Amino acid sequence: MNNGKQSKYLTFGISTLALVVFPLFWFLSQAILFRELTEQVTRNILVLIAIPFGSTFIFLLFSGMNKIINYAPKDSRDGLEARMFVGPSIFMIGLFLFYPSMRTIYLSFKDRYSNDFVGIENYIWAFTDAEMITTIRNQIIWLIAVVTLTLIVGLIVGWLTDRLNKGEAFFKSIVFMPMAISAVGATAIFKFIYEYRPPPLTQIGIINGIRVSAGDNCWNNREINGAFKGYDDASCVEPVGWLQQRDLSALPIAENLEAGGWLSNALINLPINTLLLMIIMVWMYTGFAAVVFSAGIKAIPAEIMEAGQIDGASEIKIFTSIVVPYIKSTIVVVGTYMVVTVLKAFDIIYVSTRGDLETNLLAVKMLDEFSKYRNFGRSSTVAVLIFVCVLPVIIGTALRERDNADA
Amino acid sequence: MIRSNQKWYDKPITKLILVSIALTWMFPLFGFVLSSFRPGESIKRTSWWDAVYTGNVWSELSLQNYSEVFRAENLDRSFYNSLAVTIPSTIIPITIAAFAAYAFAFMEFKGKNILFLFVVGSMIIPLQMSLIPLVQLFKDGIEIAGIPIIPALDLNGTFVATWFAHTGFGLPLATFLLRDFMMGLPRSVIESAKIDGATNFTTFFRLVLPLSVAGIAAFATFQFLWVYNDFLVANVFLGIYKPENLVVTSHMSQIVVGRFGEAWHLRTSGAVISILVPLGVFFGLQRFFIRGLIGGAVKG
Repeated sequence: MNNGKQSKYLTFGISTLALVVFPLFWFLSQAILFRELTEQVTRNILVLIAIPFGSTFIFLLFSGMNKIINYAPKDSRDGLEARMFVGPSIFMIGLFLFYPSMRTIYLSFKDRYSNDFVGIENYIWAFTDAEMITTIRNQIIWLIAVVTLTLIVGLIVGWLTDRLNKGEAFFKSIVFMPMAISAVGATAIFKFIYEYRPPPLTQIGIINGIRVSAGDNCWNNREINGAFKGYDDASCVEPVGWLQQRDLSALPIAENLEAGGWLSNALINLPINTLLLMIIMVWMYTGFAAVVFSAGIKAIPAEIMEAGQIDGASEIKIFTSIVVPYIKSTIVVVGTYMVVTVLKAFDIIYVSTRGDLETNLLAVKMLDEFSKYRNFGRSSTVAVLIFVCVLPVIIGTALRERDNADA
Repeated sequence: MIRSNQKWYDKPITKLILVSIALTWMFPLFGFVLSSFRPGESIKRTSWWDAVYTGNVWSELSLQNYSEVFRAENLDRSFYNSLAVTIPSTIIPITIAAFAAYAFAFMEFKGKNILFLFVVGSMIIPLQMSLIPLVQLFKDGIEIAGIPIIPALDLNGTFVATWFAHTGFGLPLATFLLRDFMMGLPRSVIESAKIDGATNFTTFFRLVLPLSVAGIAAFATFQFLWVYNDFLVANVFLGIYKPENLVVTSHMSQIVVGRFGEAWHLRTSGAVISILVPLGVFFGLQRFFIRGLIGGAVKG
């Protein structure tokens, strides 16, 4: 009896030591150790230390916990071990993900310094402020256009590569490759294409280059037979700062549109810069869609396709009435992924227009409110908006997965 | 899979469409990479397609820009910083997740289902949701009713902050994926090891971990590329104003945004350098990467 009680105390003591005191000690020692190192040693040595030790420090946590648990009475060891295995994961998710997101919701109801409650004032701001309305408009355009384009081009590439005798992997790799490039790098690549330089400088972006060299006497600053030919002729087309165009009004096409009815009025507001920036994302993610679709298409039983051919269905018919319905669930999964990715899109806008000229997106706006305007309440509100948009999409996925598992 | 009727499909029009798509996809890269080898003055004087057309381009190609972006711009320092952020940020979550996944897959304990639901549920949280409080946590710690739970550590601007941040963001997916993978391992082998008296610790290290290499590689590739290409977390936790704290992406963003006006020779060569590592990882481990990506499709 007394013995049982004693072992209970011992278990309790050891579990506290192993699961609370030691992990906390580990956490603090890693944090403080590397913070001090950052200040004390030169950058090269810091990096040299950080890579091996930062990577292996985590093993100290587990082996330390394991050592302590070995002192526990045998019969309670299994339970302790389970907690030791799961504990760090739960703790870190809780501390670094769950707790902060709960706090973000809380902060979204407070003022810019997180001092006083302001009720839903931040949310009212989010839906009435002119800049926020533009941001939300852009986000909706991005969601519709990027997701649709990625899915369609991805389907085409996935379907067509599957029909090749050889070279399938080659074509898929080419389209998939941008996925490995950072959004910052991809934006740099496309900025080079959209580049605008005031006349009479040479246009080095290819779109403006083609524009200004259209016409009989217009050259993009080229040497021809020893003579230097430029485009600074009144009859030549002017280059356009593509990423500065929030509508069509600066383009020659606008003159034709102005006279028209509601359609041209809608067209003239076409946000060119937003569209051009979206292309970057389509370029990056189409390959992912194609690869996933191609895996889905391969899973279609050959008999079904053959039956379609024997019935004399055209290829487009086979595509729309056999392939697409068959991989519908894959399309939904990729669509979900794209919706979430677009909602979190940040880098492209941040390094191209910095959110100016009516190109802003929610994730950039969130960071702007945080680090530029120092308004924690509003920043949190934008974060919550992103979360609220992601939520139904993910819950839908989860429900479908569960249905699939049941079926 | 070889289909008997494969020939029926393979028409010239298919190839034509695919070749044009592939060319469209490569085209942005082509002019960009070519320009990275041209001197800064030439890039601005003649457009790259004119230079190709006249043939002048071949004589002016050099590695000058690359040595400049390395030496004058210190891109190498940012590159090492990137590694110091990325490698631990990949290994830490995988280690923690592997332990947790083992417990979820092979151990029985109280509250297992609820805890697993917690892990899966956390996947839907977009990282924007936790940024601000996490910055505050690393700076001021946590206090509940005046009692400090986590002391003020002032971690922002150090590598540790990014490791912990990426660990938090990556853990739910890692735990979920690895548990899925481990559930697919033959249970009888693990059970017989336990009957033979092996502890959980030994079973984990000797048996389950080696058997899960493919699953771990899938997540590792995914996480490595994600962290290496990440700009948001680096921007928030390391900052973009201290040059010694820049990683490759934030350094590139500085160059691209135009700290130096029209420094296209630096922008191109810098971007090409920043692309090399992920491309190498990508082509080397494409199979794993795709698996990790598809698993990650449900992440918030």
